[in-house]
Amino acid sequence: MTHKADLVCDTAGEQMLVRVRGEIDHHTAADIRNGIDGALFEKRPRRLIMDMSAVTFMDSSGLGLIMGRLSVIRELGGELVVQDPSEAISRIIALAGMERAIDIRYTGGERRIQQKTAARRHRKASRTEGEVAK
Amino acid sequence: MSPRAKGIFSGEVLNRIQIKLPAISVNEGMARSAVASFVSQLDPDVGELADIKCAVSEAVTNCIVHGYRESSGLIYITVTLMEGRAVKIEIRDRGCGIPDVRAARQPLFTTDADGERSGMGFTVMESFTDGVRVRSKVGVGTTVVLLKRLATRAPL
Repeated sequence: MTHKADLVCDTAGEQMLVRVRGEIDHHTAADIRNGIDGALFEKRPRRLIMDMSAVTFMDSSGLGLIMGRLSVIRELGGELVVQDPSEAISRIIALAGMERAIDIRYTGGERRIQQKTAARRHRKASRTEGEVAK
Repeated sequence: MSPRAKGIFSGEVLNRIQIKLPAISVNEGMARSAVASFVSQLDPDVGELADIKCAVSEAVTNCIVHGYRESSGLIYITVTLMEGRAVKIEIRDRGCGIPDVRAARQPLFTTDADGERSGMGFTVMESFTDGVRVRSKVGVGTTVVLLKRLATRAPL
């Protein structure tokens, strides 16, 4: 088992696709950040796509990473797209309400991120109370 | 947490491990894996395990980034499995402590000046567990207790 991350950058025209693979946590976020920012300042794309399909874990360090990249790309006059986050990654993105601030796309078809947090807590509370009552 | 819910986490102890590890960032992943591996004996579902790994990651990161910001030290993790599929995870440091715990637990609050900390650590812990308790004393250290009750499993 590894707890690493790496990234692959591919620039075509005004679009840069960054595919992040592995686990995004406090430890790996710094190198990911430096890698992406280095490429951003060199290539200056109009659109940065962060492909998250190969991200196997992400905590709030990843939220900071995404928001930081949004700041940088905006500074360069561009836009950010987060692409294909997994179920687990989508959950933490929804927790932060981040889908309101950034463009999230799924290449496999149409799907909207639901605000699951409130619904999940409600289900959890209902289940806990129900089980205790037995 | 309601008094009835608190009772869930005071049941008979089935199993317990204690881990001691240096508060360096390279150990964050190992801490997640170790806790997840131990909890796996209760056969949690994928979502529950992901929740636990995330919450542990937040707490351990806080020890490293904030608790021992100006120093080095150890993180002490105790995982207790109790009857009723209840899990208690204590993450303790002997770092600088939190002057105002209530403020620290506010969403988006962060004392990180030049990094990209989102201030969402405690929010994540609270959302992905059934309860979070924080005890801290400046100059002594901080203990974060994560409580999670796994969903009932139908017998095979």
